[in-house]
This record gives sequence, structure tokens and C-alpha cells, in this order.
Amino acid sequence: MDFWELTTDAIKIDDVARRVVSPECGATVTLDGYARRFTKRDGKVIETEYLVYEAYEEMALKEMQKLVERTKSEFAISNVGIVHRTGRLEIGETSVVISVAAPHRRDAFAACEQLIKELKRTVPIWKKEVYADGEAWSEGESFGDAI
Amino acid sequence: MTKVLFFGATADAVGERSVEMPELAGSTAEEAIARLRNAYPLLANQKINISINQEYAPTDAIVNDGDEIAIFTAVSGG
Repeated sequence: MDFWELTTDAIKIDDVARRVVSPECGATVTLDGYARRFTKRDGKVIETEYLVYEAYEEMALKEMQKLVERTKSEFAISNVGIVHRTGRLEIGETSVVISVAAPHRRDAFAACEQLIKELKRTVPIWKKEVYADGEAWSEGESFGDAI
Repeated sequence: MTKVLFFGATADAVGERSVEMPELAGSTAEEAIARLRNAYPLLANQKINISINQEYAPTDAIVNDGDEIAIFTAVSGG
């Protein structure tokens, strides 16, 4: 079964990973993306105190569905689960889990990488980094007709 | 009634999360962004995507009465 969800609660990684298991599969690759304290930017190390994620929920769910469908058409995988958290996240807390179950691990690894890469580019969710002395919305790679 | 939603950096620039702008009906996505930048000058500093009814819209897409549009900077989830 495929699923894509947004939540404000802590994500249980095991639950996501086990929900994609099915009898024809032999491997699940799971990405646990979490809040990073130290980020190198322009040669400087920036220290983040916590993160705030915000989503355009209806559109984010639509884009996640499209992403799952597209990825399943490109790779020999069986099931995909994506759960993204929104709201305030402390350092080390999980922001996104992507689990991909496949008959064979190689396809699951490749699909998982593609899913996170495309999620960061297309799914309308934004991350605010909060520092000791300010805050900034993170901007990803430009997508579509941005002007 | 055309509803405009803002998120993240655009919400901060506008100081609102949503506004009703009936005058956007009939304009292209590009014209809609120009009108919004007129109304909210801080948006001029931002590179903006526009969605119409929760789909990414090309700049020549037409905004219709009753559409839900959203403008936002490059997404940064993950």
C-alpha cells in the first residue's frame, strides 16, 4: 500500500517502514531526514536552534501523490510511504520519512533517492531556520515558472 | 471570489496568510503576480511561484473567478 501524509506529531519511523512491507518484497529502504544544527553556507558554519516547517497542505498532498505515481512508473518498486512533519522541530527530530519497498534492494535505494530529491523540489513545504539572533526561510531549488 | 494564499516568506512579506482579490479574475498568472507586487511591495524582492487550484501554473495561465491561487518562494521541505 502507498501512502503520503502530513503530521504535526513526532513520526514513528518503524511504523512507516513496516507499513510498506508486502509479500513480493525483499527490501525496504527508509530515509530518516531530521533537523540539523550545523549548516555550512558561504564558507561559514551557521548554527540553527530549531526549525519550523509549514505546508500548503492540500497542494502538498496532491504533489506527493503525483511524485509517488511518477516514481513507481520509473522504478521496479512495490510500495512507497512518505510522512512529512510540520510545525516546530527540535534539532535531531525527524522531519520526513520515506520508505520504499521493492522485490530487490537496488531499485529501492535508487527510488528513495529520487523521491527525496523531487520532494525537496516540488512539494509545497517550507522550512524556517531559527538562529540565536534571527531567522530565515530556507529556499530550495527553483521549480516551474518562478518569476 | 478569487482567494490568494501566502506561505512562508511570502506570508511574512505580505503580513497575511490569505486575502480575497476579485480583481485578479481574468488576468494571467504573471499579471496576477505583478498586481500582488503592487499591493505588497516586499514581494518584489522574491522569486515567486504561483499555483492555481493547487497546481503549479505557468505564467500564461488564466486566473478565473472562484480560483484558489497561492504564491510562494521555492519550496524547501525535506
